[in-house]
Amino acid sequence: MNLVSLTFLIFCVITIFIYFVIPKKYQWIILLISSLIFLFYNNLNIGTIIQALIVLLSTYISGILIDKNLQTKKAKHVLITGILIIVGLLIYLKYTNLFLESLNQIFNLFHIDYKFNLVYRNSLIGISYYSLIMISYLIDIYRGAYKVQKNIFKLALFMSYFPILSSGPFIRYNDIEKNLYGNHKFNYERICNGLLRICWGLFKILVISIRIGYFVDTVYSNLTTFYGFFTIIAALLFTLQLYTNFSGSIDVIMGISEIIGIELPENFNIPFFSKTITEFWRNWHITLGAWLKDYIFYPLLKSNMMQSLNTKCKKLFGKKVGKKIPLYLSMLIMWIIIGMWHGGSYNFIVGSGLLQFIFIFFEDILEPIVVKINKKLGFNMNVFSYRLYQMIRTYLLFSFSMIFFRAESVSKAVRIIRSMIIINNPKILLKSFFNAGLDAPDFLVLLVAIGILFIVEILSIKGSVRKQLSKQNIIFRWTIIYILIFSIIIFGCYGAGYDAATFIYQQF
Amino acid sequence: MNKEEIYERLNNVFRDVFDDESIVVTEATNSSDIEDWDSLEHINLIVAVEQEFGMKFNMNEVTTMKNVGDMVNIIISRINN
Repeated sequence: MNLVSLTFLIFCVITIFIYFVIPKKYQWIILLISSLIFLFYNNLNIGTIIQALIVLLSTYISGILIDKNLQTKKAKHVLITGILIIVGLLIYLKYTNLFLESLNQIFNLFHIDYKFNLVYRNSLIGISYYSLIMISYLIDIYRGAYKVQKNIFKLALFMSYFPILSSGPFIRYNDIEKNLYGNHKFNYERICNGLLRICWGLFKILVISIRIGYFVDTVYSNLTTFYGFFTIIAALLFTLQLYTNFSGSIDVIMGISEIIGIELPENFNIPFFSKTITEFWRNWHITLGAWLKDYIFYPLLKSNMMQSLNTKCKKLFGKKVGKKIPLYLSMLIMWIIIGMWHGGSYNFIVGSGLLQFIFIFFEDILEPIVVKINKKLGFNMNVFSYRLYQMIRTYLLFSFSMIFFRAESVSKAVRIIRSMIIINNPKILLKSFFNAGLDAPDFLVLLVAIGILFIVEILSIKGSVRKQLSKQNIIFRWTIIYILIFSIIIFGCYGAGYDAATFIYQQF
Repeated sequence: MNKEEIYERLNNVFRDVFDDESIVVTEATNSSDIEDWDSLEHINLIVAVEQEFGMKFNMNEVTTMKNVGDMVNIIISRINN
């Protein structure tokens, strides 16, 4: 079920209606039923039911066993078994092809005449989200952070809470527990706020993201016609397409959850005002970063292995340099995992993994040098113009890495980058710019919409725009909501060409 | 060991980890008060504190402590045990 579809709209309206009319103690059961419908919608068969049951049962049983044997060796063994089952299933369903392809390439390298056929595995929507959510639940139980959930149906709701299945955010059991199973009254203010957020998300998706997609898709699928400068513009625009698509989906999700009465953690914090890639990743897909930090990066860094490496490196290279080596090694491992999480192919591992690591690595080692040079040259780094330069640099670096993300393969990405560098053809834009999927009026709409997005983002530096808006009088507030709704209806991209299957983060 | 002693020893650990002799920590000091105290340096700090006081933080404490006050409370509870 797509987030932007009539089916989903009807589904949400019915769910929310029943949710508020039935006795409050049954509210969570309605959420569970809706979530299961969402999870298995169009994908209900023995295979998918078994998939879901494996994750649910292994988490449920491991959780209870860990809780019973807290602080013993047995708890550790159960935890590891539980995680291995969930990760094993995730790898089997999503990464089989990555391994088969790698093996094929190795065979090819050694001239072995054998090729594995790639396989198609039918996995449930949200598998990358609920797998990690369940793992964090088990680890938290093991760490004694909270009590285990003994009701398997309640645990099933935590695993499958429908708003987050398509694009996140990652939730933590202790943050959401009280709200998820609690009673919620119908609240006008909350519903207005939720609707406003949903509209804003739809505006980002339908007016901006899908429109940009027209241009980017045309360029990326016709590289013989649209090359050189076209690929540069497509790469710059794709970053915006991805951002409006992903953060727009999150807005819709958060809005729905807000109406239901369940607060979700924010996943974005105006990322394109970040001065470095390091800072950017603190503001982009925040809940994934936080998950990886708490469950992979910190434990890895604090492990005996890394600590003894730390001691050795400090002896060898001195304190300052020595302590960085285990840090970079842990970061590299984490970024490869982030890349793999994004998809089972090498272009994701390079684009959203390795390249990000390389950027952050160089930012870290070059920073003291840059500060020194700027001091010598007398450049003030604490002025708007310098910050603007840093923000543009961040945007450009991220856009560069996203060429790999967007291209279907590393080789295609390399071809595109080569075309960007070698071919200098700005004139071609004058001739055929409006042939690449978007005509002049469409571009004008796009520019205005991006302008509005930019203004809203600047306003949100001061805090929630919706809060600022709720202080205004009711006429102004509803005028804004109506303008948004009408602009989505008039300027939104619909129709056969705009197949809504463009939810970039849904594929993970 | 009383609280003052703990803070005194923590000051030395912080100064050593962040290479800044001017650091003085209080109950309310958190990662936004010390420029280099980011997620990358957090574990270095934690391990240095563990070595100083001969105790271990568990991962839940590592990820949930909000400020130096939280850290000191954990240290006190460990020492008393």
